[in-house]
Amino acid sequence: MLIYQYIGLLIGIIGIIISILRFRDGKMSLSMVLVWITIWVLLLIFSAYPAATTLLTNITGIGRGLDIILIFGLIGCFYLIFKIYGMIENIEEEITLLTREIALNKKENTEKPDKD
Amino acid sequence: MLKKSDDKFLSLITMRLNGGCKLTHETEEFLEKYGKTILIVLPAFNEAKTIENVMEELLEKGMQLIVIDDGSYDETTSIVGKVHKKYPQQVHLYRHPINRGLGAAISTGLEASLSKNPRVIVTFDADGQHHIDDLVPVVKPVIEKKADVVIGTRNFQEMPFRKKFGNNVMNIITRIFYGMGVSDSQSGLRAISPDAANIMELHSRDYGVSSEIIGEIKRKDLTLIEVPIETIYTDYSLSKGTDTKIGLKILARLIKNIFK
Repeated sequence: MLIYQYIGLLIGIIGIIISILRFRDGKMSLSMVLVWITIWVLLLIFSAYPAATTLLTNITGIGRGLDIILIFGLIGCFYLIFKIYGMIENIEEEITLLTREIALNKKENTEKPDKD
Repeated sequence: MLKKSDDKFLSLITMRLNGGCKLTHETEEFLEKYGKTILIVLPAFNEAKTIENVMEELLEKGMQLIVIDDGSYDETTSIVGKVHKKYPQQVHLYRHPINRGLGAAISTGLEASLSKNPRVIVTFDADGQHHIDDLVPVVKPVIEKKADVVIGTRNFQEMPFRKKFGNNVMNIITRIFYGMGVSDSQSGLRAISPDAANIMELHSRDYGVSSEIIGEIKRKDLTLIEVPIETIYTDYSLSKGTDTKIGLKILARLIKNIFK
């Protein structure tokens, strides 16, 4: 086995452990943990048996096994960034709603004379 | 309803002395009659230098003020509090605990103002760039029920290049994205009828709200009138508001909204 294979295996195992821990702590949804575990398992398979990528190259027609991993990796990264961007936007919107609600409620409270 | 003789209001702007602080007779008369029914929404983020004067000027004319302190971290909060103590019946204070932008402040202001039962709601910039005389032409069509929304249009010829460019870009963007061409989409001085404010749905958090309001006017089929207003440019008011950088930021957000 070559060094990159060991590195791949190590990252894959750490990835699976972190994903499971985050899921157990309720920080990751079930669907997301399944997606992540699939990604890490694929990494483990391709690291242990690099020859397995030739199967994919035959299906897609892309020349080398490593190329296809890189291409899929990049597409996956773009998708994740897009998803994270959307999530941040949603959170920003929710924070704004909360802030506005706090401002409106606080005013009502201060207007009541019997409140301190 | 107003008397026919009041219809001279359009000539007010041309009659007015440049930059003078004294109000014209017509403005005094009009504000005496309707001042108490006008509700001013004043969004403020770090406006300590100007907000006291702006507030005092409006309050002296008997108008109701809704101040939204949008998470300011300078003296704005204490200054506004001080003015509130002086005019407790006329000033309504709302404070965003953190800064959420002009759009959020205007949304809070409009929502809060609806509970006060005003005849007309006016958005007014706290940086001192609006002249109180301009309130009359902006407010009058709404009071007379000739328009749901009135926008005070600034003279682009008098605008410094940096501002003119940014505002022109925003007009084009507003036309493309909201399908409505107006002469000044980013003006901060607008009068809105309570019914119109009630049905407007605003989501934009920052300066994009000005374009969104135009979009809502079209979407909800509201009547819009544009009237010319004067802008008082000082170094301070120039440092605020729409310029090229903000224009580009808003453009990026609008494009992103398409893909949402």
